[in-house]
Amino acid sequence: MSLKFGILGLLAETPLHGYEVKTRFESILGHTWEVNIGQVYSTLQRLERDNWVEAVGERGDRGKQAYQLTAQGRQALDHWLSEPEAEPQQLHDELFIKLMLMRRLANGNLEGLIARQRRVYLQHLRNLAELERHARAENRPDLLLLIKGAVIHTEADIKWLDVCLEELTSLQPYHPDSEHQEEKP
Amino acid sequence: MSHLTDQHGHSTYLIELSNVNKTYNGSTDQVALSDITLKIPAGQFTAIMGASGSGKSTLLNLIAGLDRPTKGEVWVDGIRVNALGEAALARYRRKRLGFVFQFFNLLNQLSVLDNILLPAQLAGLQSKVAHQRARQLLDQLGITDKARVYPGQLSGGQRQRVAIARALINQPSVLLADEPTGALDSRSGDAVMELLAQINEKGQTIVLVTHDARLAAAYATRIISLRDGRIVDDSILQAPQHQAPSDLLHLHSEEAV
Ligand SMILES: Nc1ncnc2c1ncn2[C@@H]1O[C@H](COP(=O)(O)OP(=O)(O)O)[C@@H](O)[C@H]1O
Ligand SMILES: [Mg+2]
Repeated sequence: MSLKFGILGLLAETPLHGYEVKTRFESILGHTWEVNIGQVYSTLQRLERDNWVEAVGERGDRGKQAYQLTAQGRQALDHWLSEPEAEPQQLHDELFIKLMLMRRLANGNLEGLIARQRRVYLQHLRNLAELERHARAENRPDLLLLIKGAVIHTEADIKWLDVCLEELTSLQPYHPDSEHQEEKP
Repeated sequence: MSHLTDQHGHSTYLIELSNVNKTYNGSTDQVALSDITLKIPAGQFTAIMGASGSGKSTLLNLIAGLDRPTKGEVWVDGIRVNALGEAALARYRRKRLGFVFQFFNLLNQLSVLDNILLPAQLAGLQSKVAHQRARQLLDQLGITDKARVYPGQLSGGQRQRVAIARALINQPSVLLADEPTGALDSRSGDAVMELLAQINEKGQTIVLVTHDARLAAAYATRIISLRDGRIVDDSILQAPQHQAPSDLLHLHSEEAV
């Protein structure tokens, strides 16, 4: 989620000053995120420097300044909206390193490590189910989308654990000597 | 193997398996379960998870007395199930157990109401009492208007509700369910699990097999994972912890513009 393009998107509708940007953006995100007003101001300044937005009208009371989109900013926004997101969610590298090390160190109990990790994910699914019930009760389709995304990611994490277990336990037990022969003089 | 009992000589657990093995003899012997020790107190909603072939159904069938262990003991509600003769087993299954299957196993030539009443008739329950219970179950499961309908006219989710009502008519000590949502779409699967959770809330002990981690975590309180016939994890889930929705998003708020 990008604050920069969030601001551009809001200014494409109508000129706004910083505080209006903050409250509108929070409402778009279903109040799942508190937008830092300081970041809004600094982002607006940088967008103005790059000529993607420009100040409109006079500075209002207490120094409020409204901004609008420039043609160049509009182009940047349209480009961003039409581009698919290039990066899928990353895997949990720390768990991966743990698994690899467990396999090497003293025939680590992979089954135990994976079982404990699965518990964490199952508990997460339980928490998400509760959150989903609330979102339904409060009729919040925006929140539901977010929660379902998190559920699907967590389900994938659990599947990945199952694959890790199958693949790693079907391998030969790790022998330090056999893997690093190329390093020997 | 000693059977755990309280000071009155009753088991403190409703279901207790000790050192259970199950091997199917064939051209090559197939070990379906090995050294399973498991205690389930009354009122628990337990989910059994595991890959296909890991022994989930075998475990359920041993509890149900549909199959016998090769070794070890199976106690349910104070009954040593593995030692029962055929007649006693049949009685045990009729009176103490409810069983729900993936493909409903309803009789298509009987109405919904008659499907639900059938186990009560087989158990010799008084007809008036049986009808009373059936009405109550139809109501509880939200299928009162389907009493006179035949299973062929029902959706999968509705059929599974009928099957649950049928399983509960004799007020079993344990409700066993083998992949009850396996043939349902995600929405009806959730609805069926929601009903099971409600039934469990009222005190019904449930042991359910599923390979759906989301459904298990959302509705059951204990999750047992099987792998190659062994228990590799047994966890009691905590009450849902409150989570701020913002934790679900990775917002790059400090990104440089
Ligand atoms: N009646 C049977 N005869 C021979 N082998 C069986 C029989 N029932 C199950 N098995 C074997 O026992 C193992 C466990 O089966 P099952 O309990 O059905 O697994 P799950 O329900 O987890 O998929 C599998 O390898 C299966 O092939
Ligand atoms: Mg099975």
